[in-house]
Amino acid sequence: NELRCSFCQTTIIVYHSGWDRHRFQANATIVGSKKLAIMSDDGDLPWRFSADQGLEDQLFDRDRHIRYLEMNYHLLPSPYEGQEIIRLTLAYFTISGLHILDALDRVDREAVINWVLSLQAHPKNEAELNNGQFYGFHGSRSSQFKSLDNGVSVPNNSHLASTYCALAILKTVGYDFSLIDFSSILKSMKNLQQPDGSFMPIHTGAETDLRFVYCAAVISSLLDDWSGMDKEKAKNYILSCQSYDGGFGLIPGQESHGGATYCAVASLRLMGLIEDDLVSRCTSSSIIDVPLLLDWCLQRQADDGGFQGRPNKISDTVGGVLRILGANNFIDEITLRKFLLTCQSEYGGFSKFPGQLPDPYHSYYGFTAFSMLQETGLNSFNVELGISTVTL
Amino acid sequence: MDSDEDDRIPLSQRPEWSDVTPVPQDDGPNPVVPISYSKEFAETMGYVRAVYLADERSHRALQLTAEAIHFNAGNYTVWQFRRLILEALNADLHDELEFVEHLASKNSKNYQLWHHRRWVAEKLGTEAAGRELEFTKKIFVNDAKNYHAWSHRQWVLQTLGGWEDELAYCDELLEDDIFNNSAWNQRYFVITRHPGLGGIEATRDSEVSYAVKAILTKPENESSWRYLRGLYKNSMPSFVMDRRVSTVCLTVLTTKANCVFALSLLLDLLSNGFEPNQELKNAVEALLPESRDQDSDMAVTICSVLEIVDPMRVNYWRWRKKSLHSEVEEGVRNLRVH
Repeated sequence: NELRCSFCQTTIIVYHSGWDRHRFQANATIVGSKKLAIMSDDGDLPWRFSADQGLEDQLFDRDRHIRYLEMNYHLLPSPYEGQEIIRLTLAYFTISGLHILDALDRVDREAVINWVLSLQAHPKNEAELNNGQFYGFHGSRSSQFKSLDNGVSVPNNSHLASTYCALAILKTVGYDFSLIDFSSILKSMKNLQQPDGSFMPIHTGAETDLRFVYCAAVISSLLDDWSGMDKEKAKNYILSCQSYDGGFGLIPGQESHGGATYCAVASLRLMGLIEDDLVSRCTSSSIIDVPLLLDWCLQRQADDGGFQGRPNKISDTVGGVLRILGANNFIDEITLRKFLLTCQSEYGGFSKFPGQLPDPYHSYYGFTAFSMLQETGLNSFNVELGISTVTL
Repeated sequence: MDSDEDDRIPLSQRPEWSDVTPVPQDDGPNPVVPISYSKEFAETMGYVRAVYLADERSHRALQLTAEAIHFNAGNYTVWQFRRLILEALNADLHDELEFVEHLASKNSKNYQLWHHRRWVAEKLGTEAAGRELEFTKKIFVNDAKNYHAWSHRQWVLQTLGGWEDELAYCDELLEDDIFNNSAWNQRYFVITRHPGLGGIEATRDSEVSYAVKAILTKPENESSWRYLRGLYKNSMPSFVMDRRVSTVCLTVLTTKANCVFALSLLLDLLSNGFEPNQELKNAVEALLPESRDQDSDMAVTICSVLEIVDPMRVNYWRWRKKSLHSEVEEGVRNLRVH
């Protein structure tokens, strides 16, 4: 009992004061009472947190998660207008999530296909295709403009990440890729690759980093065509992102980070530049420092079982590189599962930290984590592509 | 955007917008994950669509983009349009820095905001270096690990300059929180990229002392251990021969403080051909419970201890134990190559 209280207290205090693990540990006290009512920073919402929640009895609540996703699929509440620009990504989390939960029958396949295809940018002719723009998919209607017939030309704002999500959704619902000519995507994707090998997500200008190298790699993989990117340059960029501690930063020189590391390793794997199940093979022949990477990744599992994105930071829901390396049996799956369940919401879905409201992003990663932990009733998941393997 | 949502006058009621007809969003039939837009959001976006399609690069359009950004700071289309307007109006970009700074308090982890800031700073050139470094410092006051701010700071240093006080700034941050992994990373960034420091070969000696001191202060700090190891990247002979490495491991092991990282680093040393003395061997053996057998191979003993003191990764340490033979061969080969 006392141990659980201190765990719960730890999570609450860390969540509310945004403190890192180590700062907290200096001041930790064990709380005797079983029910803790906490006020959030603005004093408005009382969060009730029961210290004897019986964590080991909690189950993965598949039915509730399906209801949560169905709700999202039909309508997202107003606060999500702040994420309007990435609507296609929210759709991806929802639809792919339903597929992982083996509940894809909840979506109207034709409606999904039509809606996704309606977001595609089409060059009017060959000349337009070669004008330096990227012709992929828009993330939402708020970046997609139909030109009024006033002579003013409107640039398309299709985006690499949206394109990844669009193709992933289409693949998930079983759309036949031979029905459409996706060559304009690949031809114009080259325009987004930078001299250093990184990718810009949109031709009108944006930050360039590993995330978009990953998007390009998945797009190429799903379309089974690598003519849209220079793999050698992309590889060199990725390698330049490996930090002194074995993990990868989002850009060269930056701190190693779980998300960036995932993008790096998954991209190399998709490009066929590192082998499957690296840890079982001779490590010296690899282009990346595998032993250092492995050690770094494993150290990310914190005492509470969750994975931290970076050293000395709080755990949250995310983490999948180890599966790609063939090292998932080195993880403490029991403690991880326990941690994940603390982030499971009573409304369905998962939150970033225990006690918060769920969101589509962390819900999706919660589902994929449980799929990798081989939860009953869930479809298996292709880690590199971010899609359920049932579709591939 | 200081005005409260209650004080907001709908665009349809503002005289300066009376000549514009908003363009509604066409979601198409059967949209997926539709969002329940508020009236204010829908109206603002309707007017944005109108000026965007008309390519109107005016002051009122600039103000409108600010309102749209307030609703969705991630909308890269609106940010891009704002940049076009700023250029067309030849606007004072110092005002724009203020605008971003104001937004940053609630959007400090927004990629578009930081990209915009970089765009402005790049236009202002080297004169902006000081202000940009100050700006990131302000962000670090509330969140010393803000990833975006660190990326920006690294970009400023490399593009606009300002390296002089960077290592000292890292010192400050680490004095405040020795566990700040971002600050450790920044140290490495400085010693490897500062044009005036001579690179890692020139700075390794002092940095090893720095890292060792930090380790002894908090042996459970993963960041300082990894930094120490990182100083010998691509220099395995130096790693094996620098006595300070094995000494700090020994010190930590004998104080019986959190020794996971010390053991792990020792394992690393052994895999690279390091030959331990008796004192080290004794220190390691002292950590093994009496019930367990010692092994003549110190590396094996280390793995056994790690299985106990780092139980979360027990399978990993067992695997390391099994792989030891090939690890050592590999490490010794690397030594010879150098």
